Amino acid sequence: MKMKKLVAVLLATMMAATTLAGCGDSDKSGKGSKAAASSKVDEVREYTAFFAVPGNEINDDNEIQQKIAEITGAKVKETWLTGQTAAEAVGTMIAGGEYPDLIDGSDGTAQLYDAGALVPLDDYLDKYTNLKELWSEEEWDKVRQDDGHIYWIPQFGNVYEKDMTPTPAEAFWIQTRVLKWADYPEIKTVDEYFKLLEDYNTANPTMEDGTANIPYTILCDDWRYFCLENPPQFLAGYPNDGSVIVNPETEKIMDYNTIDEAKSYFQKLNEEFAKGTVDTEAFTQSFDEYIAKLSSGRVLGMVDQWWQFTDARDSLKQQGLEAQGCNYVPLALTMDTSVTPNYNTEQAINVANGVGVSVSCEDPEGALQFLNDLLEPEVRVLRSWGIEGVDYEVGDDGVFTRTDEQWTLASDSSYKASHICTYSYLPNYFGLLADKINAATPTEQPSEFVKSLPSDVQECLAAYDCETYLEMMDPADAVPGPWFPMYSYSNAMTTATEGGTAWTKMGEIKHEYLPKVVMSADFEESWKEYMSAYEGCNPQAFLDEMQEELDHRIETSAKYAE
Amino acid sequence: MVSKQIKAKEPKAKFNWKEFKRQKVLMFWAALFVIYGVIFCYAPLVGWLMAFQNYKPKDGILGSQFIGLEKFIRLFSDSTFLQVIRNTLAMGIINLVFTFVTAIAFAILLNEVRSKFGKKTVQTISYLPHFLSWIVVTGILHDVLSGTGIINELLINIGVLNQPLNFFAHPKFFWWIVGFANIWKETGWNAIIYLSAITAIDPSLYEAAAIDGAGRWAKIKHIILPGIKPTIMILLLMNVGNVLNAGFEVQYLLGNGLVQSVSQTIDIFVLKWGISQLDYSLGTAAGIFKSVVSIILIVVANQIAKRSGEERLF
Amino acid sequence: MKQKKVNEAEGKAPKYKSSISNSVFVVFNTIFMIVFVVITLYPVLNTLAVSFNDGTDALRGGIHILPRKLTLQNYKTVLNKDNLMTGAWISVARTVLGTITALLANAILAFIVSRKRFMFKSQLSLFWVITMYVNGGMIPIFLLYQNLGLTNSFWVYIIPGMISAFNMLVMRTYMQGIPDSLEESAQLDGAGYTTIFAKIISPLCKPVYATVALFIAVGQWNSWFDAMLYNRMSAQYTTLQYELMKLLSSVSNQGGSAETMKNALSSAAVTPTSVRAAATILTMLPIICLYPFLQRYFVAGLTIGGVKE
Repeated sequence: MKMKKLVAVLLATMMAATTLAGCGDSDKSGKGSKAAASSKVDEVREYTAFFAVPGNEINDDNEIQQKIAEITGAKVKETWLTGQTAAEAVGTMIAGGEYPDLIDGSDGTAQLYDAGALVPLDDYLDKYTNLKELWSEEEWDKVRQDDGHIYWIPQFGNVYEKDMTPTPAEAFWIQTRVLKWADYPEIKTVDEYFKLLEDYNTANPTMEDGTANIPYTILCDDWRYFCLENPPQFLAGYPNDGSVIVNPETEKIMDYNTIDEAKSYFQKLNEEFAKGTVDTEAFTQSFDEYIAKLSSGRVLGMVDQWWQFTDARDSLKQQGLEAQGCNYVPLALTMDTSVTPNYNTEQAINVANGVGVSVSCEDPEGALQFLNDLLEPEVRVLRSWGIEGVDYEVGDDGVFTRTDEQWTLASDSSYKASHICTYSYLPNYFGLLADKINAATPTEQPSEFVKSLPSDVQECLAAYDCETYLEMMDPADAVPGPWFPMYSYSNAMTTATEGGTAWTKMGEIKHEYLPKVVMSADFEESWKEYMSAYEGCNPQAFLDEMQEELDHRIETSAKYAE
Repeated sequence: MVSKQIKAKEPKAKFNWKEFKRQKVLMFWAALFVIYGVIFCYAPLVGWLMAFQNYKPKDGILGSQFIGLEKFIRLFSDSTFLQVIRNTLAMGIINLVFTFVTAIAFAILLNEVRSKFGKKTVQTISYLPHFLSWIVVTGILHDVLSGTGIINELLINIGVLNQPLNFFAHPKFFWWIVGFANIWKETGWNAIIYLSAITAIDPSLYEAAAIDGAGRWAKIKHIILPGIKPTIMILLLMNVGNVLNAGFEVQYLLGNGLVQSVSQTIDIFVLKWGISQLDYSLGTAAGIFKSVVSIILIVVANQIAKRSGEERLF
Repeated sequence: MKQKKVNEAEGKAPKYKSSISNSVFVVFNTIFMIVFVVITLYPVLNTLAVSFNDGTDALRGGIHILPRKLTLQNYKTVLNKDNLMTGAWISVARTVLGTITALLANAILAFIVSRKRFMFKSQLSLFWVITMYVNGGMIPIFLLYQNLGLTNSFWVYIIPGMISAFNMLVMRTYMQGIPDSLEESAQLDGAGYTTIFAKIISPLCKPVYATVALFIAVGQWNSWFDAMLYNRMSAQYTTLQYELMKLLSSVSNQGGSAETMKNALSSAAVTPTSVRAAATILTMLPIICLYPFLQRYFVAGLTIGGVKE
C-alpha cells in the first residue's frame, strides 16, 4: 500500500508536468522574485537583473555598489549570459514565466516583447525626468512597439554635450614604423596602402630580432569575419550600416557585396595574396592566433575594430615594442580619391535593444526610480570614475586625473570585482559628465588619453599634426539619416522570414567563398563562382525586407520633420 | 571460456504468477525505476510536438500553431543538411573506430606493464586530457599543426614536404584532425572501463595459461580479449547509436570558412539555424531525426549481435 | 583476508619464460608508454605553464611547458571570485550525495536487469537504452523541473540525473559475468534478492562500482549548465564550475556579435585567457586526488570467492 501511494503521488506530478501549456504561469510569480524578501529589510531595495550578453559579475559586497546604494536606496544584482545564446536564455525564461526584475534580452528582446514579459513604461516615464530626458520625443517614438508602447530603455549611444571618443571603430590599421620609414606619407587608397606595405617589407623583411614580418593579415574567425567581408562599404564611402548600404539621395537599399568596389577590393587582395603580402594562414587562424600574431609585432597592417585588438595593444605595450614602432594607427582608405571616406559616425540610438522592467518585478516604480537615480551627476561619477582620492584625483580647475597606480588598480580584475561598479548595461550617458568639464569615462579624458598613448603613436600623430586616432582618419560624420544604423534591424532578423533565411545563407556563402576568391589562381573564374553561389541565396528577398524597414523608419521620422 | 559461461542457458521468461510473486522485490524496484524514467526521460518528449508546430515561447508547447511536417520538409530540402549528415556520419564513424581501437589497445598494453608504479603513473597521466576543455586542446592543436609547428617542421626535415602545409585549409584533412583530437583527449579516459573489465578476469585463467606455456600474445588473444569482449560489445552497440553525435565543439573550434563544407555537423547546423535564429521547431525536428536514426541503428546492431550469439543491449 | 588472496594471485600471474620475443615486447611496450605519456602530458603541462604565466605575455603564444613570465595572479583572480566558497561547498555536496545516490540507483537497476530469471529484463533494458538517444529538449525539461519544484533548489543536481543508461549497462555487463551459481546457492540458503544484492553481488562488483562512481563523480563535479539553467537566480545553490564559467564567459569568443562585444568590452575589461588555465588546473586537482583512491580497484586482480563453476 505504501507503494501504491507513492505511485499515485508520482503519477499525479507527472500528469501535472505533461499537461502544462507553456508560459502564463502567473501563479508562479509569488515565489519567484526575491526582491520581496529584501524589501522588508527596508534599508536597501534589491533588484535582480539579467543581461543577455557576456559580462563580468561583481562581488556582493562591492564597495561602489554599496556607496550607490547609500545614495539611491537600492542596488541591482546583475547576472550575465553564460554558455548560452541570448535567444536560448530568453527562451527558457519565457517558457518558465519567471523573470528577473530588470532585463535586457539582447538578441532575444523582441521575443520578450512578444511573450508579454515586459511592462509598458510610457506611463511611468513622465515621473522619472532623468530617464525621460535621456532621449528625445522622436527617439522615444522609435522605441515604441507596434502596440504604441515603450517597453525598454536603450542604454547606449547617448552623448551628453560633446562626443569625446578619441578612437575610431573600424579602420585599416598600419604600424607606425611603416609610416615612419616612408616619412609619413598621405595614404588615401587601398592601392597606396598595399604598395607601402610591400615596399616596406621588401626593405625590412624582419623585425629587429629577426622574426619575419607579416605584411597583412585578415581576421576571419567565425562571426569576426566581418573584417574580411565589410570593408567594401567603407571603400565605397558609406558609413557602417552593418548589413547593407543606403543611398541617402534615393533612399534605396544597396548591397555592398556586389558593387564594383567589392570586386576590385577582393581582386586587390587576390593579387596581394599571390605576391605573398597576405598572410597564408589568414583564413584558418583562430582569434587567439590572430591576437598572438598582432601581439608579436610582426603584422604590419590589417582591418579591424578598435575594441577587438585591445589585448594585443596591451601586450605590445608590456613588451616595449613601441621602441620598434609596432603600434597601430588607423587610415580611412577608399578605392580611389574621388570618394570621401565615411568610416566614423556619431553615436546613434539602437532601438532594438534596451533594459526593460519585467512583469515579475513587484516594484516597477522602485526599479525605475533606481534607474533614474543612476543618472544623477554624483552617481554617474561613481559609476565611471570611482571614488575621489581613491580612484581619481581632482585638480584645482576641476579636471579629473588618474595616477599610474590608480590606472593599474583599475585594470586589476579582483579590484574591479570588489570595488568598481559601473552598472554598464543600465542607462548612462557618453560624452561629458554633468560638470561639462570631464569626460564621461577616464579613458576618454583628453589628458589621460594622451598619457596612455605609446611613444611611437605620439610621434606619428604629431607628424600628421593630429591629437587623437580619430583625427588621423576622418572625423565622425553626422548620422546620415533617421534610419541609421540598419544593422539594428538585420541583427534581429530570424529564419521565420524569407529575407532572414537569405541573410543567414548569404553569410555562410561569403564565409566560404571569399577566402577561396582571395586564394584563387584564377580570380575572374572564382569570382563568377562566388557570385552565382551568392545569387543562389536569394539576396533580393533580404534586400526587399531591408528596404521595407528603411521606408518605415523614414516614414516614422517624417512626423518630426516639420 | 569466460564469455561462454555468460551466454550459457537463458531460461525463457514466461509469465506466470508464481514466478512474478517470487520476484516481487525486483518488480517493486523495477516499477519505481519505470515511473522515474517516465517522468524524467519520457515526459519531456512532449517537446517533440514542437517539431510539428510553429513554436512560439509565448504560446507554449500546447498552444502553438500546428504546421505538420513543414519543418522536416525544409530540413531535407536543404542541400546543406544532406552534406551535414554526411559530415556527421563520417566523423562519427572515424571517432567510433579510432577511439575504440586505441582505448582497448591502450588498456591491454597498460595491463602488460609489469612495474606497478609505472602502471599507476601512466594511467593517472593518461586520463588527464579528458579534463581539459576543447578550447584548450584545439588551441594546442592549432599550434602543433601551424606553419611553424612541430608537425610541419618534422615533415620538412624528413623530406615529405618542401614547404609548410596549412593543414586547416584543406578539407581532406579535417575529419582526420578531428579524429586525432578525439584520440588525444579521450584514449586514457575511455580505457578506464576496459581496465576495470580486465580486473574481472579470473586470475586462475592466467595461471592455467602459464602452465600451458602460453606466451604473451596467446594470453592477450585467448584470455584478455575474450574476457573483456562483453564490455567491448556493449560499448560498441551503444556507440553505434551515437555516430550521429559526432560532436559540436571540436568542429566549431577547428573549423573555418574554407573547410565549412566538411566541418559542419548536425549539431552545428541546429545551432546555426535553430537556436541562434530562434527556430526551436527546426532544431527539434533535427533532434527527432537524430533520435530516430540512433534508435534504428542500435536496434539493427542489437539484432545482429543477437543473431550471432553475442552480448547485446536488450 | 580476501585482499590477501588478491595479492597472492597477482604475484603469481606475470610469469613468462624469458624469450627474445618477450624482451622485444617489453622494450616496445615501454617505449610506447613513454611516447604516450609525453603526448598526453603535453597539453596538461602546457595548461599548467600558461596558468602560471602572465596573462598579457601569454597572448604572444609560444609558451610550451615552462612559464615565461611567472605570476600567481591568475590563481589569485580565480580564488578571489566572489561566491567561490559557496560554489565549492555545493559542488562537494552534490558530488558526494549525487555519486552515492546515483551509484546505488544504477547498481540496483543493473542488478535487476542482470537477473536471468527476471521476467522483464529485456523490456526494462530497452526502456532505458532508448533514453540514451531521445531528448525532449531544453524547454520541456525546464518546464517539467519547474512544475516538480526542482528549479531554485539543490535537488535538481541530484534527482533528475540519477539513472544513466550508460552506467547501468556497464554495471549490468559486469554483473552478468558473475557466475549464476553464486546466486543459486545463496537462494538455497534462503537469501532474498536484497541479501543477494548487498552481500553477494556488490562485494564482487567493487571494480565496476569504482569505475561508475568515478564517472558519476566527474560528471557531477564538472557540470555547471544545470546550475545556470535552473538556479541562475539562487546564488545559494551556485556551483564551483558555474562560478568559473561566469568568470570565463567574458573571455569567451563564442556566440557573440560585434555589437554586444563592443558594449560589453567598453565596460568590463577582458580576463586574461590564462585565467582559464588556472581554473582548469584548480578543478582538475580534486579529481587527481580522488583517482588513486579508486585506482586500486582497477589494478588489483579479482578473485571470485565462493563456489567455483
